[in-house]
Amino acid sequence: MDNPLAGAAANRRSFLSLMGLGAIAVAGGGTLAGCGEKAANEGTAQQVDQLSAVLPKYQPLELVQPDIKGVSPVANGFTKYPASLVDAITEKPGRGSTITTMTPYWGQVPAGPGQNAYLDAINAELGAVVTPGIQDGNTYADKLNAILPARDIPDVLCIPSWEIPKIPNFSEAVKALFEDLSDHLAGDKVKPYAMLANLPTVAWSNAIWNQRLMAVPWPTDGPYPWALFYRKDITDVLGAAVPKTAEELYQFGKKVTSPDKGVWAFNNILAMVEMIFRVPGAKEGWRYKDGKVEFKYETAEFKAALEFMARLYKEGLVHPEVVASKGADAKLLFSSGKIVMVQDGVGSWLGVQAEQQKVTQGFNMQPVPYFAADGGQPLVHGSGDPIFYTFVKKGLPKEKIAEILGVLNFAAAPLGTKEFELIEYGVEGKHFTRGEGGWPQGTDLQAKEKADQFRFLAGTAPTIKYDARVPTYVNDLINWENAAVGFLEKDPWSGIKIEMPAGYVKVKQPTEDKITDIARGRRPLSDLDVVLKEWRDGGGEEGRTFLAKALSDAGR
Amino acid sequence: MTGKTGVAGPAQARPLPVQATPEPQAAPPPARRGMTLRAKFHRDRALLLMTVPAVLLLTVFHYLPLLGNVVAFMDYDQWAGDSAVEAIVNSPFIGFTNFAELFEDSQFWDALRNTLTLTAFQLVFFFPLPIALAILLNSVLSPRLRGFIQTVVYLPHFFSWVLVVTFFVQMLGGAGLLATVLRDNGMEPWNIMGNPDTFILLVSTQGLWKDVGWGTIIFLAALTAIDQSLYEAAASDGATRWRRLWHVTLPGLRPVVVLLLILQLGNALTVGFEQFYLQREAVGRQAAEVLDTYVYYLGLATQDYGVGTAAGLFKAVIGLFLILIANRLARRFGEEGVFVRS
Repeated sequence: MDNPLAGAAANRRSFLSLMGLGAIAVAGGGTLAGCGEKAANEGTAQQVDQLSAVLPKYQPLELVQPDIKGVSPVANGFTKYPASLVDAITEKPGRGSTITTMTPYWGQVPAGPGQNAYLDAINAELGAVVTPGIQDGNTYADKLNAILPARDIPDVLCIPSWEIPKIPNFSEAVKALFEDLSDHLAGDKVKPYAMLANLPTVAWSNAIWNQRLMAVPWPTDGPYPWALFYRKDITDVLGAAVPKTAEELYQFGKKVTSPDKGVWAFNNILAMVEMIFRVPGAKEGWRYKDGKVEFKYETAEFKAALEFMARLYKEGLVHPEVVASKGADAKLLFSSGKIVMVQDGVGSWLGVQAEQQKVTQGFNMQPVPYFAADGGQPLVHGSGDPIFYTFVKKGLPKEKIAEILGVLNFAAAPLGTKEFELIEYGVEGKHFTRGEGGWPQGTDLQAKEKADQFRFLAGTAPTIKYDARVPTYVNDLINWENAAVGFLEKDPWSGIKIEMPAGYVKVKQPTEDKITDIARGRRPLSDLDVVLKEWRDGGGEEGRTFLAKALSDAGR
Repeated sequence: MTGKTGVAGPAQARPLPVQATPEPQAAPPPARRGMTLRAKFHRDRALLLMTVPAVLLLTVFHYLPLLGNVVAFMDYDQWAGDSAVEAIVNSPFIGFTNFAELFEDSQFWDALRNTLTLTAFQLVFFFPLPIALAILLNSVLSPRLRGFIQTVVYLPHFFSWVLVVTFFVQMLGGAGLLATVLRDNGMEPWNIMGNPDTFILLVSTQGLWKDVGWGTIIFLAALTAIDQSLYEAAASDGATRWRRLWHVTLPGLRPVVVLLLILQLGNALTVGFEQFYLQREAVGRQAAEVLDTYVYYLGLATQDYGVGTAAGLFKAVIGLFLILIANRLARRFGEEGVFVRS
């Protein structure tokens, strides 16, 4: 970098002694030599599918037969509650230690151990005092960006997979902060932890950083990141048909939007519009086509998608509160019928339906089957990557690590075990009662005390299970998910763990700001070429070179 | 991160001691010369003891973190070594490269321009409003009514920005009260919340609604310190209300106004974060990027702490210079200013 102030750098030693840091300057002397330039992080790409040596040996545990088959990577569905439960873990994994954890939650935070019967019941079974630190899931990345650099982490830390790309140099952080689990779980070493051995290998292979197994993965039960949900109870009355093309989506928006009644069609649905227009989505928007690595902004598909989204904004089909402030709650607006079609995570379906049907008579939320702009074969984004990763703090005594893995093993017990019932529903008579077909039905105490304190520490082998609150859920979800499996986008980089170069990460936010300007009509669509050039020069080209090299290195 | 050192704008300022009471000078302090340091300590021990908590607070939360500013001159790698201190020790010094990177970034200048425009605008059009409100409140005779109005206008100060922005969206947004009323009467509501051209007016109004009442506290205290006999004398000389305001009230307030103006200038580059972060997408980066959001997106979100710290340091140094200049100017015009060099 051309640095007009470089001369001043020569005085760094006197500057240090001025600060009274002379001793530190001597200690750090070796590193002072290469001064005046910043070492850029150039990203890492490792082929995790070739690192089988650190992976735990898969030992399937089939306790219950599924009732509805999911097409892989969609999980199997279970509608019948197992007649008898297996006591899978007979020996208490804990030795009385206090284990601090941090997990996300999207809701009220319940009381801690000693004042929480759900926690206390599980801790008694574990023989340990697990002390959860629950953080707001919506601002989890902010919290992580504070505690990771400060190295102020709990014994067990859950990190959602979508937060990881937001943390630059994550593999360096992993090296500095978390315990290498390879020596504890690789190959046959996983044997004492039978529930962890039951997790699919593809999930484990994603938990590798720097060629070592660093986390326990939380396997996904469905590959799709986004869905469009609509209020069937409202559209049936209005006579608005579920859209199957982009034009129909627009017509749907026109038909249901009615500012006089305070009703608008959409929230910000750009991610879904991109999917509808077949914009590439692998690794946040890359594809490999005709021997060229391309980013989504460079494709004609994206231009069409952006034009469409700009039209929705221009014609006022997006709810004004969502437009005006980041603080707007699209979920709430959808629940209260102010938004008719919402883009949200698939995981939101059950919770919103179960809660809102208590408030609104006939509340019926359904996902729109994936479709393409022209009505042809859709392209569906998604991956089989895990939902969460659970890390263990570096440098804990060996016995405590074994204890923690025992706790995670307990939490990973699948449907059909007593442990699963305890973690998932709590204590019978207190936190749940037996409903139809033996399925546990949550009580008010469960709602008050359970915030997935253990569930988010370790997932079970993927299952989609019946929920008494929404009896049709299992069928509806699996049928909808199965229908789209064939349209899943192929990821050219699958099996390669990518950490993008810093220059590329840096240009992301400014470019997204400019794209937002175009979508909201503050800049004309023709400006996309300018934005694209700035993106390429600002770090986009670096990203392309990096991804192209990752492909050729992998021999693809 | 920001080198903000306990200097707050008028909105957040603690009620400072306003003005020496116009009593005749108290008895001169006991003779200083000839007293040993030990004796002085002994004499002032109660006072010194009382300052200890404040000094501790300043040390722990302001002075110690100031040392972290050294990161601005480093290629800081937070994972070098086993602790944050080791990371600082192990990271190489790169002189002013971070600053060069900062000054080469056109987005930085955009953010700086937006920040300065906002400060200037708010200084000219909104700084006088708490003074006017204080004078108005002071003229309300019924103490109960005055207390009630004060409570109502203070209250929004304690709301978070999320709440304030939501309130404005509910009132003035496209689905808000105003828009609904307009639509009911067959009119097309205009775009208030998402217009980049009038954004400066919107954020200033939000700030005003939130903090104008809070800002009056100091002025109200200053008003009570004005000698009542001056008003009586002026009235008996036949001065009208306006004359009394002009010749008695405003000169009486002048030291406080100058003081707050100086403190405000020190904060010229700090216009807040949340308010702009929340409304950024509604009006776009061009209009809503200020230095604090810039530091967040560049320094924190991409963990380039070196450049982020450089931006914070730059902000603090500019603020310090502004305070010094303003203080000197104030003293040249015969005012007390914030501090006196002894």
